[in-house]
Amino acid sequence: MSFLQPLVLWGLPLVLLPVIIHLINRLRHRSQSWAAMQFLISATQNSISQARLRQLLVLLFRVLAVLMLILFLSRPLAGGWLGWVLAPAPDVIVVLLDRSASMEARLPGTTVTRREQALKLISQAAHEFEETSHLVLLENALRAPQEVAGASSLASLSLTTATDTAADLPAMLQSALNWLIENRAGTAEIWIASDLQRSNWKPEEARWKSVVAQLSALPQTVRVRLLAVNQEPEANAAVSVQEVTRRQNGSQAALQFVLDFQRNVSASDLMPLTVNLDGASAQLELAMDGQAMRWRHKTDLGSQRAGGWGSFELPADANPRDNSAFFVFGPETPLRARVVSRDAQSGRFLELASATPGNGPRQPAERVTPAEVQKAHWEESTLLVWQESMPTGAVAEQIRNFVEEGGVAVFFPPAQPEAQRFHGLGWGEVQTAASADKAFRVLRWDEDQGPLAKTDEGLSLPLAQVVFLRRQAITGQKSVLAAFEDGAPFLVRQTLGRGEIFFCAGLPHQDWSSLGDGPVLVPMLQRLLQAGSRRLQQVSSVACGEMSATDQRRRWASVDAASPKDFRFQAGVYRSGERMVAVNRPALEDEPEVMELGATERLFGNLPFQMLLETRNRTGQLQGEIWRFFLSAMLIFLVVEAMLILPQRQPQPSRVPGRPLPSANGTGVPEAVP
Amino acid sequence: MADGADTSFLDAQVLARLMAQPLLTRFPMEGTVSGHHKSPHRGSSVEFAEYRNYVPGDDIRRLDWRVLARTDRFYLKEFEAETNLRCYFVLDCSASMGFAGKSGTKLDLARRLIATLAYLIVHQGDAAGLLCVGTKTVFDIPPRRNPSHLQTIFKTLKKAAPHGETGLIPALHELAEKVRRRALVLIFSDFFCEAGALLNCFQHLRFQKHDLAVFQLLDRMELDFQFERPVRFVDLESAFSLVTEPAVIRQEYLRQLHAFLSKLRAGCHEFNAEYRQAVTDQDYEKILAGFLVERARHARS
Repeated sequence: MSFLQPLVLWGLPLVLLPVIIHLINRLRHRSQSWAAMQFLISATQNSISQARLRQLLVLLFRVLAVLMLILFLSRPLAGGWLGWVLAPAPDVIVVLLDRSASMEARLPGTTVTRREQALKLISQAAHEFEETSHLVLLENALRAPQEVAGASSLASLSLTTATDTAADLPAMLQSALNWLIENRAGTAEIWIASDLQRSNWKPEEARWKSVVAQLSALPQTVRVRLLAVNQEPEANAAVSVQEVTRRQNGSQAALQFVLDFQRNVSASDLMPLTVNLDGASAQLELAMDGQAMRWRHKTDLGSQRAGGWGSFELPADANPRDNSAFFVFGPETPLRARVVSRDAQSGRFLELASATPGNGPRQPAERVTPAEVQKAHWEESTLLVWQESMPTGAVAEQIRNFVEEGGVAVFFPPAQPEAQRFHGLGWGEVQTAASADKAFRVLRWDEDQGPLAKTDEGLSLPLAQVVFLRRQAITGQKSVLAAFEDGAPFLVRQTLGRGEIFFCAGLPHQDWSSLGDGPVLVPMLQRLLQAGSRRLQQVSSVACGEMSATDQRRRWASVDAASPKDFRFQAGVYRSGERMVAVNRPALEDEPEVMELGATERLFGNLPFQMLLETRNRTGQLQGEIWRFFLSAMLIFLVVEAMLILPQRQPQPSRVPGRPLPSANGTGVPEAVP
Repeated sequence: MADGADTSFLDAQVLARLMAQPLLTRFPMEGTVSGHHKSPHRGSSVEFAEYRNYVPGDDIRRLDWRVLARTDRFYLKEFEAETNLRCYFVLDCSASMGFAGKSGTKLDLARRLIATLAYLIVHQGDAAGLLCVGTKTVFDIPPRRNPSHLQTIFKTLKKAAPHGETGLIPALHELAEKVRRRALVLIFSDFFCEAGALLNCFQHLRFQKHDLAVFQLLDRMELDFQFERPVRFVDLESAFSLVTEPAVIRQEYLRQLHAFLSKLRAGCHEFNAEYRQAVTDQDYEKILAGFLVERARHARS
């Protein structure tokens, strides 16, 4: 048994204080001359045994209350006396270690991270079971159970070092269960060390019920103990790259970034940001207001045609793991669009709007017929504009493959209702405005991202000025990016594989709308042309720990750091042959939401469960819930003691004799009643 | 008031108020001279009682000759005799009477009561005597009607001091045997002795046809027994002491005390003795006024 405040235990002799006070109290009696001794002696003899018993009980409860107070103040470890030792030693202890990026947050006022503190406490607790139990480590990055020789070696294992990964608690628990079954383990305890980050625990997933039910159904006893290191860290900010786009404008190229910033304090101040691009650094300051912000940034690449890599870095704070975001960008890629249109005027507008950007005069998009789609060469195409009857059969399959590879397909109205759908989306009735004055207008659309987002200069596209005389309804499940004022969708999106499908309700035709004027249609299609360029690029960004099995077989070398790094655990830029990939911590790791304690406990259903809340203190040891037990016991003892010393039913006080009552015997002899 | 007497027990204003109400007995008394009190004897007096037939042996001088002359029948005319009163004050001078609470000792209260009553009795023409009883009888002053006798009583009261164990029970038996003629006996004590023996004394006194009134003197501390901390109780009448926790035994103590008081009261009721309880923090005038008024009411009825 160990204590957080062992010095308080020197106060243990104080438990004799009530006895000493009692004895002193008896010695300090005063003398009183007394006449009615006969009643005193008789009363003492009659009530001595009962009174002595009550007095002994009172003393006992006072002693126990002081004892509980001292134990409460000495803060006994939950992992010690009552918490761990009283339970029989298990055959196996499976330690589930969450070493995700969020576990690298430093505890307030220290340089110790949550992971280090959890490891230290787990090692201390496991040390007591070294003789009796096997210790198995299961961490979140590999989820491969590994038997550990001794508790003291836990902190020095490479499997317990910091990572940029995310944790999947239900999957870890499932791995632990599988190990228990495969190894036919006896009684087991599962010790979980985690910061209770909600995105790691995934409480809404049905896997929890399944794995808990399986654990409960095991023939051996399985006990779960959770060490929650969820103290809120000091000021911390995180940066992540959401989008990197290479834009070619003539001979000049530029990179456009969309960054997300998140921090745990709400303030309005300037945040320094370092941008590293191919080894060169630049310092920026961005004004941040509130806890979260989406920031767009553009960096000129000049005439550089090759690809490269870079990173964004925030100054050091409570969690150094979320201060960096890496990116890579590919070389200049020729972009091609293909237009399929049944209407000549609309087709011409669409060809011009999706013209290929380049150094020389713009080359209009290639126009093909539906029959040619199947035969066309798609190697350089990134955008398909379709203004025809809904594709079917082999053509539809060809388009589907194109999109799944990363391409973008935009469907414009065929000007007639169709029953056929493509990936759940289809066309409804053609609607015509009653008059030019009552033309349809688009008043709201997504200006943050997508093809209708604001320009680099922060200007909105003039979509509100576009007049729609006719439109065709879009049917099916979709994500609406822009809607007419009556709520009908103008532009919708569906993702398919790596690519996207868009449906636009208007046509660039004079009978339909003023879309053909260009200020909206051109940027919209140009952005979609750029977005489809990912089809021609290999995956350039991946979340740490989520690299595909194929890629994992390749040899990856770190580009951003001099010392070798493991792409499975560490964020950074890695190269394998000609291919570069940016490995970043998963976006979910930046989410600040934490599990509630009650909800966490409910996840484990009927499994024997104990939660220990880590709280930092000078000794860096564990404070469990066990102090509550002593506090409760002390209060109970005090209440019992108070009940024992409460005066019993008071006898009637003596009555001052007043006027004598008439005698009852008829003799007239008066009696005074006391 | 007797000149030269120690009158520290007396209050002139209290006496003036109480003198309006004479002290009467509840039963006929046998005195030596005429007085305010009924006598058990019939004879010539001013107060006609009844006619009765002559029986041989009657004194023929008491025949009513007028009736004989008119009717030829022998009748005796009887009158109620009224006589004076002899009162014995019995004061318990045991050490327990020296118990001092916040309002003085029980003996102090007894002195005031006895002195005031003695003054009233002598001034209404009756005789008052005093018996101070400690371990044995300390002072025995026979009843006298002389006002100068009061001085003796007051001096004796002054000299009476609490000491030793109580010898009240043998003293009362002795008094019952010694006083042959009917008298008023007033006993002032805390009666902290064996209740059965005490009641035997009362029965003995009543058997001798004495009018008996007992004043039980108690202190508020004895009745309430309110103590906070452990106390060493030292017996006033012996060297015995007892350390105890009053809070623990209070309930039992009060139960015992009330049982004793109830038994004493019931015994007095049974033997037709008048029982009065006097607490040291009470006004002694009220105690005496209640006593006198009740006796007067009884006499009228």
